[in-house]
Amino acid sequence: MRRSSPDAPPLPHPDLLAAIPRLRRYARVLTGDATRSDDLVQDTLARAWEKRWLWQAGTDLRAWLFTIMHNVYMNQLAVARREGVSISLDSESAHAAWQLPVRANQVDRVELLELVAQMGRLPPDQREVLLLAAVEEMHYSEIAAALDVPMGTVMSRLSRARARLRRLVDEPATPLRIVK
Amino acid sequence: MTVNPSPFDDADLHAYADGCLPPERVGAFEAALKLDPALAARVAEIRALSAALRAALDPIVTEPIPERLIQAAIGRAHGASRSRWLGSAVAIAATLVLGIGIGWYGRTIDIEHDGTPTSFARQAAFAHALYAADVNRPVEIWAADEKRLVTWLTKRLGLAVHAPDLNNVGYALVGGRLVAGNEKPTALFMYENADKQRLSLQVRRDSDTHGETAFRYAVEKGVGVFYWIDDNCSYAISGVLDRNQLLSIAHVVYGQLAAFDTAPR
Repeated sequence: MRRSSPDAPPLPHPDLLAAIPRLRRYARVLTGDATRSDDLVQDTLARAWEKRWLWQAGTDLRAWLFTIMHNVYMNQLAVARREGVSISLDSESAHAAWQLPVRANQVDRVELLELVAQMGRLPPDQREVLLLAAVEEMHYSEIAAALDVPMGTVMSRLSRARARLRRLVDEPATPLRIVK
Repeated sequence: MTVNPSPFDDADLHAYADGCLPPERVGAFEAALKLDPALAARVAEIRALSAALRAALDPIVTEPIPERLIQAAIGRAHGASRSRWLGSAVAIAATLVLGIGIGWYGRTIDIEHDGTPTSFARQAAFAHALYAADVNRPVEIWAADEKRLVTWLTKRLGLAVHAPDLNNVGYALVGGRLVAGNEKPTALFMYENADKQRLSLQVRRDSDTHGETAFRYAVEKGVGVFYWIDDNCSYAISGVLDRNQLLSIAHVVYGQLAAFDTAPR
């Protein structure tokens, strides 16, 4: 059997491959767009290979990848802001852009798509904390480490995210107000 | 109105609902829950919201993984922004080659419909069903002798074969054997998880098939099979497994085989 050369990168392929589906979900929640989210995943994986010496074997590779993705995305946001490009989420088209393959019964489906569309209206920092806590079910301390913020910040963002999402779902914003 | 202000704040409520409240405070919180239906209702609401988000977003993780991300994961691609134009140039070239290939070879390949697997997929399912059910002798050479197994199969197939490492997805190599195919021998690697569930990877050299195909799926007698063609070889991964579980294992196998192919010789 062929073996890697001694100076070969230490990142384990199976673990990286296994992490892709969750990275894609995180990216979809961050960017709100299927194509752009796969670009983000690709950039994240490329960065992981560039910075592979920073990963300590035996530690949680997925959490490390989440951290890289968060940083890559925040950089892209900063660059876009500097160049005056708007990449904010358009929640009106979020149903289509997220390309959610919802496999629930028809009644649930509408509600779930609506929920996700409203989640897209949260600020990115609230959206990602909500994803990591509620969907990825990561411990607050892991989230704090991944995003490099204090645990108190994680908790306050999470609490604000849920309160805001609840308001948005309860009173869906109608883009065209009927004026009497 | 409560007489005693609750010793728990909003952050504690979320932490409890998320299973992140420090263990030493859980007992007191649960005691407070019993006395305060409104607090219990809020916990239930937070959990219902989390469950709804998971239901909405879980399907994303079972989507097929785009090829460019598999390449990026094994360190064979640059960032999306840099490789975009190059990627489309390669894609156009590949389409041209594939178009020519299909035009020529399409004449001899049976047309496949959903639910009508090729003979390879059917054979793979039968071989899996036959040997996976064999408790004492599922393989001819056991994993302890992996090196000998791989050398032997490589010689018999006339093709360098590898046993992918599936430990990360919970399956350990049991061993392997040679299986009679229609015309050519097929290598079979058997894997087993902690619940004694088995799956098998079968590899056959196909001199008359060229190019590559996407993953295809078939079910034969309750055995699920993902099969694909890559670089003149047919691969099939079979098991009595949920389609998505099997697909994710197929992705891991595919990625490892691609990594083997590009590893320095």
